[in-house]
Amino acid sequence: KDWDDDDIEEVEMVDDTDDLDPETERAAWKLRELKRVKREREVIETAEKEREEIERRRNLSKEERE
Amino acid sequence: MTHAADARRHFDSRGYTGPQIHNQNPVHLLEKPIRDRIITSYYWQEQCFAINEATLCDRAAAMSFIGGTYGQQKPSPFLCLTMKLLQLMPERDIVLEYLHQTEFKYLTALAAFYIRLTFDSKDIFQTLEPMLADYRKLRRRARDGGYSLTYMDQFVDDLLTKDRVCATSLWKLPQRTILEDLGHLEARDSPLGRELDEIDDQDDDIMANGES
Amino acid sequence: RQHQIAIGQSGEVKRATLEEVRERLEWLAQKRREEKEGIGNVVDLGKRLEVRKE
Repeated sequence: KDWDDDDIEEVEMVDDTDDLDPETERAAWKLRELKRVKREREVIETAEKEREEIERRRNLSKEERE
Repeated sequence: MTHAADARRHFDSRGYTGPQIHNQNPVHLLEKPIRDRIITSYYWQEQCFAINEATLCDRAAAMSFIGGTYGQQKPSPFLCLTMKLLQLMPERDIVLEYLHQTEFKYLTALAAFYIRLTFDSKDIFQTLEPMLADYRKLRRRARDGGYSLTYMDQFVDDLLTKDRVCATSLWKLPQRTILEDLGHLEARDSPLGRELDEIDDQDDDIMANGES
Repeated sequence: RQHQIAIGQSGEVKRATLEEVRERLEWLAQKRREEKEGIGNVVDLGKRLEVRKE
């Protein structure tokens, strides 16, 4: 790896070996995945609320017009 | 069929006439300042010359981190190999082989990045979302040169949701919900599957008990 | 190097097929496994060579 003049030791300080502690590694993933699911649901909820709000305004203006 | 050993055609200032991705010269999916850094880098000149889809695997197998640029804006091998892929434009089957082989996780990450840059939006979601279940560790190198730990699923999530990854601005991917509304995609099934239902039930119980 | 022969004088590299990519990956995986197993032996061999030099 003569293209890289950097300190090799520093790379090894961050260990990327998998399955050292499979249960903890899966638990950490589960937490990340739950956050993603929550985020996805929030996006859908926000979109729905916006849709309702637009609907509500549309109705309001109709009544005002009449 | 052959590739130019270097990337002459892609950098010819008189104009590019080769195959395009997203209506442009594929290497232009990386910004010009980054491209300039890459083609003047030692890694690009020494390690990316005259390699093809097969010998590129040697370089990918030797990768030990993902990242953009670091130090004096030195481009990572990850970025250099991304540009090499943009030049080679491997066939779809080969890209998917890179992605799904299980021996070299940095090659998987490289393929994911390339897919995010080059596939169309529906295809990106369909190909990359299953990777959200892959929690192998990845070393990431920051701009200051320091290393930190991330995970395949986190990296893929970044690719699907962020505008910039690895010092590269990604073309704007439509939000998933828009593709769902258009009927291009089904709602995503979390790999947590039944576990998720159980967690939801627990939440519902808590809510119900709280209200009573 | 294999690929330097492949490019010859033309400055061009042959396109690889999916089959060649698979073979390459298999070969690299094999090499990596051998290296992992071989680390212990190499150290021993190095030591022995040192001893013989003296």
